[in-house]
Amino acid sequence: MLETDILVIGAGPAGSMAAKHAALNGAEVLLIDRKSEIGAPKRCAEGVSKDGLKRLDVTPDPRWITSEINKVRLVSPNGTDVLLDEEKVKLSEVGYVLERKVFDKHLAMDAARAGAQIMVKTLATSMKTEEDGVTVQLEHMGNPLEIKTKIVIGADGPESKVGRWANLKTGLKPGNMESCAQFEMAGVEMEQTGCIELIFGSVTPGGYAWIFPKGDDIANVGLGVLSTRTDKTAYQHLLEFVDKYPATQNAQPVELNVGGDPVAGLHKELVTDHVLITGDAAGMVNPLDGGGIISGMTGGRIAGEIAAKAISDGDYSKKNLKEYQKRCQKEIGDSFKKYLKAKEYLLSLSDDELDSIANAFNESDFDRISPTDLLKVLLKVSPKAMIKLGKLF
Amino acid sequence: MYCGECAGVCPRNLIEVRELTLKFNEDECKDCKICIQVCPVQALEKEVI
Repeated sequence: MLETDILVIGAGPAGSMAAKHAALNGAEVLLIDRKSEIGAPKRCAEGVSKDGLKRLDVTPDPRWITSEINKVRLVSPNGTDVLLDEEKVKLSEVGYVLERKVFDKHLAMDAARAGAQIMVKTLATSMKTEEDGVTVQLEHMGNPLEIKTKIVIGADGPESKVGRWANLKTGLKPGNMESCAQFEMAGVEMEQTGCIELIFGSVTPGGYAWIFPKGDDIANVGLGVLSTRTDKTAYQHLLEFVDKYPATQNAQPVELNVGGDPVAGLHKELVTDHVLITGDAAGMVNPLDGGGIISGMTGGRIAGEIAAKAISDGDYSKKNLKEYQKRCQKEIGDSFKKYLKAKEYLLSLSDDELDSIANAFNESDFDRISPTDLLKVLLKVSPKAMIKLGKLF
Repeated sequence: MYCGECAGVCPRNLIEVRELTLKFNEDECKDCKICIQVCPVQALEKEVI
């Protein structure tokens, strides 16, 4: 039987950060991933913020950056657009569009250099918590394997098994899981360079569509919908979208990605005896925009640090691991509460209201707009929408 | 292209996402069909015997 201090299940950005920081803090770490190739296939639009990478001490590397973003174009249902330019207004979304297949491997290599062991094509099939640790059944290259570990960090995505095995209630209702489909396309005709496009309205019930440029005429073109708000699949919505949207009229897909995005905010319980969950498995996804790379990496780093400290303490109890919950709530969860309310407001708006808001924004001066001015704009556009907003806060 | 969204919403935790396949514990399934509802590509359907 294999033995380790910390077993990290899932080598996405959160899992690799957890493995790296646990190893850097002196723990013996094994990082496993069920896939043969870490980072593939991708399940996201690949956008990250510059601030986020800086906070995590990750130096941007041209090997995994496909384009730099300094503008955001918001498009309302009737095609009215609002252009937000970094030169005129502070944007939290400015950053990079990644090549996840390279980025995720880069993070896993960092974990390896910090001292973590890595096993690919290794699936965790069950887990049993005992007094002195956890026994996890694995399947490596199709062969059964058993490992005894003091701590498990579950970074196994929105479909997390670890959370459920540990009774952490990580299962989601369909209304809290965005169903996403995305093409990577060539031949996309972007209006602006260095600009992501976000398209709102009933074209994507319960979500929005996006275009994230990856250099030249290449872009990730995708959307998320809530299955509770539509009878069509995300893929059917995507086909309709690329058929009608001006920028994709002459574009062709070279890759299809699908996946679920948990948008209910941070899970209430992230730890129990011997177990922590992180990344998408822990709901570390911004409920408003569905972005989860930076928040997942943040959670992963905290998980690695806290787990390594628990190993050093010789105490793997829920009580000792609870610090992880507190730090995640403070660094990730508190802001998510605001985003959840903003999402509810956005989803409550009709296509007409979204068009009116876009029109009103175009008449505003972004250089000088304050929160009060913003509320005045919204009130002018739709008193009914303002009442909806008021009820949420 | 097994994304695992179905596994994330299965209320009974009966779906295992493997590298290239999904494994269902059909004996325990209560036929809620939530997995079918959320699938982004209509990959799942109820088998009628």
